[in-house]
Amino acid sequence: MNKLFTIAFKDLTLAFRDRAALILMLAAPMALTLGLGVVTGRFSGGDDSGGLRDIPVIIVNQDDGQLGKALADVFSSTEIGTLVKPIAATTADAARKQVDDDTAAAAVIIPPGFTDSIIPSAAAAGRVMPATIELRTNPARPVSAGVIQSIVESFLSSVEANRISRQVAIEQLVTSGLVQPGAIISAAQAFGERQAVAPSAPSAQAITIERVTDTGKPPPAFDALAFLAPGMALLFLMYTVTRGGAQLLAERDGGTLARLLVSPTSATQVLGGKIAGLFLTALAQVAILIGASTLLFGLRWGDPLGLVLLVPAVALAATGWGLLLTSFVKTPQQISGLGSAAMLLFGVLGGSFGNFALPGFLQTLGKVTPNAWGIAGFSALGNGGALADILPNVVALLAIAAVTFAVAVVMFQRTGFVKK
Amino acid sequence: MDLDMRKIFAIAWKDTLIAFSSATQWVFFIILPLVFTFILGGGFAGSGVRPDDRVRLIVVNEANTPTAQQLLDALAPVTAVHTDVLLRADADAELAANRAAAVLVIPHSFDPAAASGASLQFKQRPNNLDAPIAERAVEAAAQHVGSPVAAARMAVAEAERIRPFADDAARQAYFDKALASAQTLVSNAPKRLDVTRPTTTPYRYNQAVNTSAGQLLTWVFIPLLSISALFAYERRNGTMRHLLTTPASRAQLLLGTLVGQFLTALVQMALLVGFGIIVMHLNWGQQPVALAVLLIPFALSGVALGTMLGTFIKSESQANGLSIMLGMVMALLGGCWYPLEIFPEGVRAAVHVLPTTWAMQGLIDIAGRGLGPAAVLPNAIVLLGFAAVFFVVGALRFRFE
Repeated sequence: MNKLFTIAFKDLTLAFRDRAALILMLAAPMALTLGLGVVTGRFSGGDDSGGLRDIPVIIVNQDDGQLGKALADVFSSTEIGTLVKPIAATTADAARKQVDDDTAAAAVIIPPGFTDSIIPSAAAAGRVMPATIELRTNPARPVSAGVIQSIVESFLSSVEANRISRQVAIEQLVTSGLVQPGAIISAAQAFGERQAVAPSAPSAQAITIERVTDTGKPPPAFDALAFLAPGMALLFLMYTVTRGGAQLLAERDGGTLARLLVSPTSATQVLGGKIAGLFLTALAQVAILIGASTLLFGLRWGDPLGLVLLVPAVALAATGWGLLLTSFVKTPQQISGLGSAAMLLFGVLGGSFGNFALPGFLQTLGKVTPNAWGIAGFSALGNGGALADILPNVVALLAIAAVTFAVAVVMFQRTGFVKK
Repeated sequence: MDLDMRKIFAIAWKDTLIAFSSATQWVFFIILPLVFTFILGGGFAGSGVRPDDRVRLIVVNEANTPTAQQLLDALAPVTAVHTDVLLRADADAELAANRAAAVLVIPHSFDPAAASGASLQFKQRPNNLDAPIAERAVEAAAQHVGSPVAAARMAVAEAERIRPFADDAARQAYFDKALASAQTLVSNAPKRLDVTRPTTTPYRYNQAVNTSAGQLLTWVFIPLLSISALFAYERRNGTMRHLLTTPASRAQLLLGTLVGQFLTALVQMALLVGFGIIVMHLNWGQQPVALAVLLIPFALSGVALGTMLGTFIKSESQANGLSIMLGMVMALLGGCWYPLEIFPEGVRAAVHVLPTTWAMQGLIDIAGRGLGPAAVLPNAIVLLGFAAVFFVVGALRFRFE
């Protein structure tokens, strides 16, 4: 075993002394994780979950009633916080032009008579015209425009619910004789005042929604970095293991492997040492990335015991794939190209770039990648999962490792890769 | 300076032939870009392999009451979500397998008209990007079904405030009438919101446009940066020095190499644009002149950056690693992977130091907003500026040995 470990540690040391290799092993995943943190606003302070902020929205309030003002006030309310940055405009045409010129995500144009169309005043009674709010959206900012639309829809939904409550309450009072027709306006005003004192959405009293994760716990706030960082860490793992494969082929072609074999070292020790070196390099890469992202970015990776089990399993499965791919090619150049392609394909199929709409067969295919099981395991741990929650992932990763190792060994034996 | 174009093109052709003699080059030139564009751009949506690209919400209807059915009916018209009704075990299995954004459980006891109110359970996987969309749909449906009940309750409370009911039966009868009235009003509620978009945009926005544009820029940019590896290879093997013994000038040799890479990038972009039009049904074909105005300077900026990078690095492996890393990071920060609109304001301004940002914004202006060559001309000029700066630095530092 001593010889095996000597070879393994020698390869580990060589890998981490190769400054060019370190670019993709450590610098690239760290740079991308840092970039993700920057673009998602994770490092911008305040709300540390990242996401949209300061969406420019233009408010044109042509209504002189309470509802127009209430809607305009929603965009500067504490509930909305820094999500939007309202900009006042005087004319609808100017607002539309600003949206069309891409200086705002959307414009909310509240027409004259909007309040009267919902709460007819005594003066307007009998001549109420329907009034529709216009939401001008910017097609170049679909996400921001969608957020503004949902804010306006939520407000209108609440207004509509209050209107219906008021109308039903008054109609029923009149129908049942509790209020005389001549007293409708004063009854409606009194009802409105009571609603204003207790303005909670009426539906909240009828139906409540309990939000839980698939493990039964309350869902954590969305954290863009926690969602994407494990994917980035695992994306470049395939580069590391196939780089190791390329080194192995280079040693064979350069004759250093043959020289090793004439020493009093068995072929099993040599190949075992090489494989162990590859595994240790992969293990160190993931461990360093986890440690660095914890220290530098404050990422929470979860239960340390779970990590102790999951990280070696991921490294082992990736090593198996590295050996398998190496066993099918002839030259270091071939495995380098194949490794880069595998890195990216495994990334997209295994979820390193996020969850995309994949058909069933590609989702199934993705299950052969260490990325899919590893990312799911890291996500479970990061969201408070325990050892038991990731056991299926660990078993799957070990199964991938077993199968890929077995096939690789058979292939190496067939090709006489390591012969005395 | 002798710039015999035949020699330049001969060198460019030689480099291209050498590059494409490797299967790996084909994989990175066209196969992986197409795979990524298709998958990330939602290419499987609507293909029959996957019926549509709406967010999948599974409903477990344990109540099986008319009110529960009302809730399902309220979810049906939501355009962003499609619902499947399954048993609880199957729903949980689907959620665990990440084949649904969320599960909505309507429990046996679901009755919004009950005095204690009704509760729904919304189950999602943590950090799932689609879950908030499903959640909003459920909230809207719950509002639709719950608001008449709440209105009827308020009506009862108003009546009771004036005069108490004789008994529970009278209260229930009053509630039932109010509920029926409220449900009618909800069904007949007038349209209060009109969503409009610029009349200059001749087509509906498609999210795949962003993805297709981002992937195009990413996959073209990384190989252009890899020109640095080409220079490292030539330096290591001394082939450039050998070529200097031929009747070709240094400028011809250098330009030949760069022209080959530049033309390859143009062909690659044309193929990806064609793929977007034919397979993904995107709007790339609307403004071909604008595309040319933007993409030619973008390719030039990539070539120039690759040349400059090549003068700083020492080995091919360094160059390859740096090209991939810089290409990916610049694509990410330039808005090629995630839309610029989600970036914090300061970051959004800062990333304009990158050519990828200007190229991506130009592509969105063309395909997302339907703008023409004049609109993307400023972007093209900035990209040419990047190309000039990178090339001058690269040329000043360039050594054949």
